[in-house]
Amino acid sequence: MFVLSFLARRLAQGAVIIFLVSLLIFTLLRVMSGNPVRQMVGGMAPDSLVEQIATQMGLRDPIIVQFGRYAAGVVQGDLGRSFVRPANGAATGGANFDDLTRGARAGVGDLILDALPMTLQLAGLALAIALVFSALLGIAAGLRPGGVFDRLAFAVSSVFISIPNFWLGIVLALLLSVKLGWLPAIGYGGFSYTVLPALVLAVELSPVLIRTLSSAVAAQMSEAYVAVGHVRGLSRPRIVAAHALRNASVPLLNLLGVQFSSLLGGVIIVEYIFDYPGLGLLTINAVLQRDFPLIQGIAIVTSAIFVLINILVDLAATTIDPRLEY
Amino acid sequence: MDAVESSLALAPPRVDVAASRSVGRRILAHAARSGGFRIGAAGLALLVLAAALYPELSGIDPTKMDIRARLLPPLFLGDKWSWAHPLGTDQIGRDMLVRCLVGLRYSLLIGVASVAVTVVIGCALGTVAGYFGGRTDTVIMRITDAQLSIPMIILAIAVLGADRPTIPAIILVLGLSNWPVYARVMRSVVMAERGREYVRAAQVSGATHPRIILTLLVPLLVPPLLFTSVLDVARMMIFESTLGFLGLGVQPPTPTFGSIIADGRKYLLNAWWIATMPGVFLCLTLTSINLIGAAFERARNTIHGGA
Amino acid sequence: MDPVLSVRDLSVDLTLPGRERTILDGIGFDVAPREIVGVVGASGAGKTVLSRAVVNWITAPLAIRSGSVSFRGKDLLGLPPRAMRRLRRDIAYVGADPMGALDPTLPVGRQIVEKLRAVMPEVSRQEARERVIALLDAVRIPSAHARFHDYPSQFSGGMMQRALIVDAMVSNPALLVADNVTQPLDVTVAAQVIRLMRELTERFETAILFVSSSLPVAREAASRTLVIDAGRLVEEQPTEALIAAPRHAYTRDLVAQIPVIWGTGPTMPAAPKTPTPKPPAPADAIVSLRGVSQTYRVKKRGSFAGTSELRAVRNVTFDIVKGDSFAVVGESGCGKSTLMRLLSRLERPSAGSVLCEGRDIADLSGSELLGFRRKLQLVLQDPFNSLPPRTGIGAMLEAPLRTHGWRDPKKIRERVRAVMDDVGLPVALYDDLPLGLSAGQRQRVNVARAMVLEPEILLMDETLSALDQTEQFKLLALFDKLQRTHGLTYIYISHDLAMVRKACNRIAVMYLGEVVELADNERLFFDPGHPYTRALLSAMPALEARRYRPEDCLMEGEPPSPIDLPQGCAFRSRCPQAFEACATLPPLLTVRGARDLAACHRVPGAGAALLAGAA
Repeated sequence: MFVLSFLARRLAQGAVIIFLVSLLIFTLLRVMSGNPVRQMVGGMAPDSLVEQIATQMGLRDPIIVQFGRYAAGVVQGDLGRSFVRPANGAATGGANFDDLTRGARAGVGDLILDALPMTLQLAGLALAIALVFSALLGIAAGLRPGGVFDRLAFAVSSVFISIPNFWLGIVLALLLSVKLGWLPAIGYGGFSYTVLPALVLAVELSPVLIRTLSSAVAAQMSEAYVAVGHVRGLSRPRIVAAHALRNASVPLLNLLGVQFSSLLGGVIIVEYIFDYPGLGLLTINAVLQRDFPLIQGIAIVTSAIFVLINILVDLAATTIDPRLEY
Repeated sequence: MDAVESSLALAPPRVDVAASRSVGRRILAHAARSGGFRIGAAGLALLVLAAALYPELSGIDPTKMDIRARLLPPLFLGDKWSWAHPLGTDQIGRDMLVRCLVGLRYSLLIGVASVAVTVVIGCALGTVAGYFGGRTDTVIMRITDAQLSIPMIILAIAVLGADRPTIPAIILVLGLSNWPVYARVMRSVVMAERGREYVRAAQVSGATHPRIILTLLVPLLVPPLLFTSVLDVARMMIFESTLGFLGLGVQPPTPTFGSIIADGRKYLLNAWWIATMPGVFLCLTLTSINLIGAAFERARNTIHGGA
Repeated sequence: MDPVLSVRDLSVDLTLPGRERTILDGIGFDVAPREIVGVVGASGAGKTVLSRAVVNWITAPLAIRSGSVSFRGKDLLGLPPRAMRRLRRDIAYVGADPMGALDPTLPVGRQIVEKLRAVMPEVSRQEARERVIALLDAVRIPSAHARFHDYPSQFSGGMMQRALIVDAMVSNPALLVADNVTQPLDVTVAAQVIRLMRELTERFETAILFVSSSLPVAREAASRTLVIDAGRLVEEQPTEALIAAPRHAYTRDLVAQIPVIWGTGPTMPAAPKTPTPKPPAPADAIVSLRGVSQTYRVKKRGSFAGTSELRAVRNVTFDIVKGDSFAVVGESGCGKSTLMRLLSRLERPSAGSVLCEGRDIADLSGSELLGFRRKLQLVLQDPFNSLPPRTGIGAMLEAPLRTHGWRDPKKIRERVRAVMDDVGLPVALYDDLPLGLSAGQRQRVNVARAMVLEPEILLMDETLSALDQTEQFKLLALFDKLQRTHGLTYIYISHDLAMVRKACNRIAVMYLGEVVELADNERLFFDPGHPYTRALLSAMPALEARRYRPEDCLMEGEPPSPIDLPQGCAFRSRCPQAFEACATLPPLLTVRGARDLAACHRVPGAGAALLAGAA
């Protein structure tokens, strides 16, 4: 019952967020961006043709009308069609302007659905690596503030946070793939292609995880119930495992919810570097090709995922700590 | 209460905010004692000094091509290195060291300026949301949620991809991308502080809301935030180099870390230093800044008793 | 009989670099089985350190310099951790912070079971569970079966303290160290907890070391009392003998400083003011409340958008006459803080009106509001939270003047100096930060900040409750002087009846948002009209013979929630004198004598009012 009303409230809030995101992106793209039709038809097409296609596509209507039309489609599950990509095969950018008809272009929903599993696989592996690594280092650091592991955690996170992911990607690809030949780097041809990009992402993610965990564990260990627990006769391993870590996992969960978008930001760059055919690569190509419907679709899908993840995170956090009300 | 007794009480000792002479100065003093801070400060000073002086002193133009001196390796690496180009040259013979240092100038400038934009916008909105609460708060928080749900890199490339990006445009876009984080932090500290008794006392003495915000809350709450914003300068510099790498940063011929790395990527196999050297420079700078920022953050947490 | 605990020559040092000093110096005493021994001393005397040393819980920066703590003849201080952990079964500890003592994310019952099985692994889970529930029931936690599964945050402070006593007693220990256990509790709840501990020693044959900062509280519990001053044991006597004939000078002062409530002896520094001779005409009233209510909407737990009403203040009506020292007393949650916010117009009431000199303050705005602000000032509770950080004392006192349009820096400075002088702050502190000030001096800054605008009414929100007995004395004298020289009216919001007895002439007692009794000082303390007032008086820690015994005046239990108010009289659930009418009809304030009122069906004449109301 509590859970249901919580879900209802959070889904309603989430709908507002998704609406705001799509409105923001929509306006931004229309106001700030160059002419997508020119890109679609290529530089050689006459201006009159550009204008004609633009009017046909409704790009000359007021923004609010365009948005209403678009939103109506989204509500019915139609994310529109790509400006650029043909339904069959790779993105060519479309030098051939005359056979560019609406029906031949790929559906945004299909494009996203194709790319999403690849990205989930990458993000999941990266998160797993980062969590295991950060948990080992962060908990050890938090249990003995000022000790060896605390210093190590500090040094590791300071260095990791200072490495730009695209550069690390290039260097690791050069070392592990080109020079040593341990792992494949470019494109996708099996699970092993996920490892290197996931490592780069894990390096990017772990500094914040390490610091949050170590300070959360340290904070819990200085709580009254820990000291009193010793006097009550509980053993230290029991206090740490059954109580301190349990409490310290709440800030970590919240962090994961908030960090989602920076994880996604990392995914975009890393997929671009490694030419990994996921949502990130799709995004960056869509942006560089001014493929408005695709950008919008991606923004809506990612913000929906963001909303869902945050609901899950809050549910989990509330299960651990009942004081956080639904 | 007696200091000993209170520090021993079961509850964590209450922070006596009133006892803080100048929070800023205490954070600085506390941070300066840590080894990380000293290493970071020394490293950053060295790098900034080099960036400020070397390009002009050496008299090398970062955009000057020299076909005869193309693809020279850094000192002592490879066989035809030259003292004139300590970090080697790129594919058209431009000096890598000067290019990196000029890139560092732009990177620092954009990093600091965009954080300033972020801090101003984030703090203003966060303060308003936290102080007034209610509907204002709900509206502002929904907007921050919305923005936090889209990766800022998408926004940035969507906007900057439109035209040849100018430096002010880059600063603005980077600055606008990160304000929700500040708004959230500021909101929560303002909310906590608003309930404190001295705020109530000011209210009862007749002080208006803007007066309380500007004379009591902002001077107290913003400075500690500025210390942690050092970490964001580093994040923004990474962000700036990412944009440069995608071709959406400061445009050529001005060298930036990102664009040099992007160029160097094509020559990775026969001239690895073109892509790696700017990265090393960037990492060194960022590590220095992060060491300083982390020392500040730790100092602030110790002084404020966590949180 | 062999003592269960014997402490010999115990010395503890603080080893913090630069702040080394001795905390405990050569303490020695015994505790016999089943005995309750009290330990009394001022804050900072080393009581908490002593109670921790007894349970072998001395951690850096504290260090034991010398001495022994023997439990049944075995010295604890040298024991390895593992052996010590085995002894936790027999040596239990309860501290002053009940809310922080358990993991907030797990049910209370489960954690007590965890502790029981940690110290007595032979007990099965099922057995442990049954034992914990039986004990929760024994300490009179209502519906113990259901409460077993509740989380710490769902317990009130008093309930949590009971649960922790269960936690301590569940392994049937031979010694319980109780460190200031009643400190965070309301007096009526504290009285119940002490009664409970006395019962438990008899039932479980446990000896208790009862540490308290209040001699009257220790007297309630302990048969023998030790007095500690600055880390030394200065006196040890049976409690009654100690109070009747203290031998050490420190103890004599301690006894002398306990306020006298009923006896009128020379120990009373300021005799209560005689009630104003004539009954008040409304014209004298400087502040009047007319049917004031405040209702907050709080989010209903687990509902989509539902809210419930929290009725913090209900239909309060009274007048405060110019020159009065008016007190609003009550325990936590009674609505007195809400009333403070209404009186100072930090909030506007949801019904009724607050009048200041006949004007409804809710209607004021602009310069009229500023005028009201000048007239009524607030002196706050917490000496540490109430001063803005990083601001010099002079600047702090200048701020209200600037708010009120003072511009001439010379005049401002002059006024601030005058007020500092007035409240006894050295003018030399003008440019200092409040950094090194004592709590008492900080409160003086608070008073000065209120006085700087030359108000007519001072609203004291628990102003003295954070101060030591001695500091309270001095500030009360200051308030008295200020009242005489400036013709001030005081409104004290307080939970401390002893202070109110000393300082106020007229008193309103609040319970669950209502004023249940309104009377002059003498009448309230000698002839209270409401059973709740009697309960408060009976629970008040004092060194005198009581006029009222808690056993007669107070039922077990805690106030109901202001969200689900019971029908009829709100106090009925704890009232030993409740009868049928109380369950259905809320009693009205009924006149007793010339000018005193009480809201109880037992008050003579209440029936008539009741009938009149029904007609």
